[in-house]
Amino acid sequence: MNDQNLVRGLFLVAIALIFGLASLRYPVGQFSRAGPGLFPLLVSSLLFLIGLASIVRSRFVERVPLSFNPRNIALILASLSGFAVVSDKLGMMAGIPFMVFCASFAGTSPYSVMRNLKISAGLVAVAFAFEKLLGFNLPLY
Amino acid sequence: MDVLHNLALGFQVALTWQNLLFCAIGCTVGTLVGLLPGLGPLATISILLPLTYSIPTGGALIMLAGIYYGAQYGDSVSAITMRIPHASSIVACIDGYQMTLKGKTGVALFTAGLSSFIGGTVAIVVLSLLAPSLGEVALLFGPADYCALLLVGFVCVSFVTTGSLLNGMAMCLIGVALGQIGTDVNSGVQRFTMDLPFLADGVGLVSVALGCFGIAEITKNLDSRDERTPFNGSIKLIPTWSEFKRIIPSALRGSVIGSFLGILPGGGPVIAQFAAYAVDKKVSKYRNEIGSGAIEGVAGQAAADEAAARTSFIPLMSIGIPENAVMALMMAAFIIKGIQPGPNMIAGHPDLFWGLVASMWVGNCFLLVLNVPLVRYWLSVFKIPYSVLFPSILFFCCIGTYSVNNSLEDIYTTAAFGCIGYVFLRLGLDAAPLMLGFILGPMLEENFRRALLLSRGDFGVFFTHPISGTLLGLIGIFIVWQVVAFFLLNRKANEQHQQPA
Repeated sequence: MNDQNLVRGLFLVAIALIFGLASLRYPVGQFSRAGPGLFPLLVSSLLFLIGLASIVRSRFVERVPLSFNPRNIALILASLSGFAVVSDKLGMMAGIPFMVFCASFAGTSPYSVMRNLKISAGLVAVAFAFEKLLGFNLPLY
Repeated sequence: MDVLHNLALGFQVALTWQNLLFCAIGCTVGTLVGLLPGLGPLATISILLPLTYSIPTGGALIMLAGIYYGAQYGDSVSAITMRIPHASSIVACIDGYQMTLKGKTGVALFTAGLSSFIGGTVAIVVLSLLAPSLGEVALLFGPADYCALLLVGFVCVSFVTTGSLLNGMAMCLIGVALGQIGTDVNSGVQRFTMDLPFLADGVGLVSVALGCFGIAEITKNLDSRDERTPFNGSIKLIPTWSEFKRIIPSALRGSVIGSFLGILPGGGPVIAQFAAYAVDKKVSKYRNEIGSGAIEGVAGQAAADEAAARTSFIPLMSIGIPENAVMALMMAAFIIKGIQPGPNMIAGHPDLFWGLVASMWVGNCFLLVLNVPLVRYWLSVFKIPYSVLFPSILFFCCIGTYSVNNSLEDIYTTAAFGCIGYVFLRLGLDAAPLMLGFILGPMLEENFRRALLLSRGDFGVFFTHPISGTLLGLIGIFIVWQVVAFFLLNRKANEQHQQPA
């Protein structure tokens, strides 16, 4: 199963099935008077065929090992979601430092509280500039 | 004479102090971001698109165009000095970096700057002459022809950007499917919305673009854990007279090649660079030196790069069909501003069209000033560590997403697309065709349904119309060629595998 080509094919088939099965819930109509489900059904059918072709192709080409590092993407997603939650409850002035401190765990350099404080201060200043100079409606506090 | 009159109108628009400022900001930001590792024109335009909402239409489009061609040039600077290319400057790495190793960084950067200027200028002449006449041809297109043309675009972009027709087409189709989320304009039925009210208007373009390009790219760079060494070499910019004489013919060749290849569907800067480099290797007087740090290896590709970046606006503005993912984003910017690119755009908004064309030449001058004498200051950007850079990029992604609807909920959508974009990256699926499919999907569906409605459900309409029939025939030939090539390659590989045994 550790084959990028095979997993890619299975992934495409899964997406095609999600869209294809969901499109059956809408009226398909006729070709001369297409319903809202016809075009999505055609697109997902084509995607399904491409997914199948990718699976078949993976049998003929050399295996490529799948590399996936969940740590960094999890940290980035947590920092983005955290930014939204904290900004909603406390304002962006709190959300920005949260995002910087959380995302920096994924950084390539050693973790530095001082550096994160400086980046946060800089970004808060930019956010203020956006609000005051460009007229953005940011929930800063 | 008409062209000269129209260009005069364009310069009147482009030379207002406000538009000059937007052009300068676009070129500066584009160059800056083009220099940064991991952010190309697509990600830059995605991040900065929401910032243009409060700017007048003409200024916003001038700024976005400036960002695009500024990023193209900035990219070549990082490729020449540090061998860090994005997709658009792979060729600049070859001879440009060899020149840096020989201590000729300044000459290489001067060559790239001057050649880009020449390429851009030639392309603007082509754009002014060709776009209006192509717009008249576009009026001959019916719904079936538009469908076929969009499919040609999908096939070309899929193959060119990913190198694999299968993967590229899959991404295009996923993009088309994502574009159907929301309310169906013909029946009013809400499709794939999962009863979530914020999906009734569809998935936000900015969320998809920032997720798939911004967030996913940042994570990929973090995964690679590369710490880049800043460029510290000396820079002597001005070339000798003999070196200067070698730049001009190569830049002119590159300009012509780039201008032509920029117009073709799926074409654009990448193919243009490779083609110009290949032509220089065949016809240049110094062809034996190319590959080991020759000026021609930098001049031709830089001119082709800039020329193609500008002429790729022709299909967008005259037919209304973008030929690559960056142009698809530009099309979205036009639509957000209430302008529908297409055959009627030039007649309906001459000030906008000719203003944009003229601003490209003004942008060319800005780029020359910014990049030739000031290049040593730009290089200090490389001294910013990635640990400082990536939280800032994340911040701009958040602000960009939030400012579309002033909604923090949109940040969750961007995060979700960041995760999906990362999965695509790890599965070897390029997100550029997805973007094209996402933006053009609704147009494809509308024309597909209209064509079938007019033909009373007869699929023959796609094959009997001369334009669509020809285009679909070309797609068929291309697919058959791809399948045959795959089996032939596979058989050859098997034979080689069996021979040693």
